[in-house]
Amino acid sequence: MSKQSKMGVLGLLLVLPSFLVLFVIVILPVALSFKESLTNDSGGYDLSNYIYLFTDKLMRSNIIFTLTVTIISVGLVLAVSYALAVYMRFNDSAIVRWIQKMYMIPIFIPGVIATYGLIRMLGNRGWAAQFLYQFGVESMPRFIFDMKGIIIANLWFNIPFTTMLLASALTAVPNSIIESAKDVGAGMWRIFFNLILPLTYKTLLVAATFAFMGIIGSFTAPFLLGPNAPQMLGVSMQQIFGVFQDRQLASALAFFTFFLCSIMGYFYIREMTKEERGKAT
Amino acid sequence: MDIQLSIQNLTKRYKTGDGVTDISLDVRKGELITLLGPSGCGKTTVLRSIGGFLEPDSGEILIENKSVLKTPPEKRPTAMVFQSYNLWPHMTVYDNLAFGLKIRKMKKAEMDFAITEVLKLIRMSGSEKKHPGELSGGQQQRIAVARALLLKPAVLLLDEPFSALDAKLRHEMREELREIQSKTGLTMVFVTHDQEEALSISDRIVVMNHGHIEQIASPQEIYDEPKSLFAAQFIGKMNFLKGVVSADQVIIQNLAFPNPKRLTGEVSIAIRPENVILQDGEETGLSGSVKQIMILGHYAEVSVDVQPFGIIRSFQPRDQVKHLHSGQKVKVNFSKALAFPAV
Ligand SMILES: Nc1ncnc2c1ncn2[C@@H]1O[C@H](COP(=O)(O)OP(=O)(O)O)[C@@H](O)[C@H]1O
Ligand SMILES: [Mg+2]
Repeated sequence: MSKQSKMGVLGLLLVLPSFLVLFVIVILPVALSFKESLTNDSGGYDLSNYIYLFTDKLMRSNIIFTLTVTIISVGLVLAVSYALAVYMRFNDSAIVRWIQKMYMIPIFIPGVIATYGLIRMLGNRGWAAQFLYQFGVESMPRFIFDMKGIIIANLWFNIPFTTMLLASALTAVPNSIIESAKDVGAGMWRIFFNLILPLTYKTLLVAATFAFMGIIGSFTAPFLLGPNAPQMLGVSMQQIFGVFQDRQLASALAFFTFFLCSIMGYFYIREMTKEERGKAT
Repeated sequence: MDIQLSIQNLTKRYKTGDGVTDISLDVRKGELITLLGPSGCGKTTVLRSIGGFLEPDSGEILIENKSVLKTPPEKRPTAMVFQSYNLWPHMTVYDNLAFGLKIRKMKKAEMDFAITEVLKLIRMSGSEKKHPGELSGGQQQRIAVARALLLKPAVLLLDEPFSALDAKLRHEMREELREIQSKTGLTMVFVTHDQEEALSISDRIVVMNHGHIEQIASPQEIYDEPKSLFAAQFIGKMNFLKGVVSADQVIIQNLAFPNPKRLTGEVSIAIRPENVILQDGEETGLSGSVKQIMILGHYAEVSVDVQPFGIIRSFQPRDQVKHLHSGQKVKVNFSKALAFPAV
């Protein structure tokens, strides 16, 4: 064997274990459920499950509901986290040090417990309602068993990690180049839009991808405090699978969710592999 | 004479107690003035105060007779060339140069022209599309200079701009800067810890030590008449000997020199190597023996062991050292000696 082909075999051997793991854990189940999703009631193969997915009124509203919740949540998470991270990066006060210590706490609280906490707080007779009642507010807007509740839960679960990601990207923007921008006359907004945003844009994209994936497939919070109809796809999937025992339809829904995530993944990979010119310094 | 920049009793102390105290300095229009001193003496602190990046504890800074203390850096008529270049890594050379001009709402055609011209001036024509990461240190430094030049600042501030470059490039850049200055007539405050650099490019030098000014004078004057022992030590080569004042004369063994500063008691005497005279054994002078002769181009450095003073270095024309050899007994005399209070 020539040296080159030896190296080639060695390379294959090195990637083989991780490929096997990927195959067993990801590729195989995806392929199997794709096959399952194409199976119709009479045992043949067609697109009937997918047609049902997009024509049934309830299923369609579930999909739209899920996308709406996800997009609003991702938008809010990014906005809040970025604002928080920028604030922490460019200010140094007692408040900043306090936020820096506190903002990670939600990560350490189990999801179910946090969700019940939210229900206790925002529910019909929750303490937020009781608190407002003291001030003469009779009717609180409905949060629990509503889209707003899921969005609030998503904020709670996603802001800490997103903020952490963005904060580290902002720390990597050196003060010195901000100083030189000030020196040539750039004000606050110009520095933000011409320096800070372009230099942290990639991390922003990473954060958006992570948040999107996490929220679109979330289950605990939508299950516990979401409305009965329409539902998030995770909850709907569970119901089709567990209650209606329709494995083929559940598979079709799972594959569709996977497809939505892959679109996000495609944009992510495309941005990440764009040639990075002149970023060496 | 027009005073372009005036610093009056500037004091800035950091929490650690380091900083600068009571700095006063007037810079004339079109002048290149150098802040010279060892690392940590407060040069950057003064420069950053002028640029607006530090708020002085007390004192006043006037540019074209207007106080700028209340003006934030982005509004000051200064431009700074930073020690670490501070170019924007995600922008091309063109965008780096155009950024400040866009803020000033310059027209595109005018801007293109100005950028082409400045790139020609720093001899980097054609590099518009490159990113800073694709340039060498010297090229990045030149872009940083160009970026500041384009803004036509009332005062251009340069913080050790050439210290990261190799010796040859550093020499070239000095000459270029001097040329740019004579072409543009810009007022410049240049910071360096390199005395040779300061001597070669400055109209005047401000010698700084431990956060205060030791002397402000032309390179000639600083070299010939250093006002303090520190300035004498820091600039150029110097021999130091102990002496004493007696009958209003500065005495070193059997040699006597005038005492214009009316010093008394023990003194430190500073002598430039070129002011050391080597004579035959019969003449008057300090007796010593030649230790080493180094030919340094058109002149030679001769070190002489003079007890009890130690080694004295002298510069001699090369043809006059032909008859010298190491171990030879000589008499050492000085054509000029500067006395300072002993420390
Ligand atoms: N931000 C700072 N905080 C505390 N001390 C500082 C700071 N910047 C500089 N110093 C100290 O102040 C002194 C002068 O610093 P600097 O002006 O940078 O000196 P130079 O530029 O002459 O090397 C040094 O002793 C330095 O350690
Ligand atoms: Mg410095």
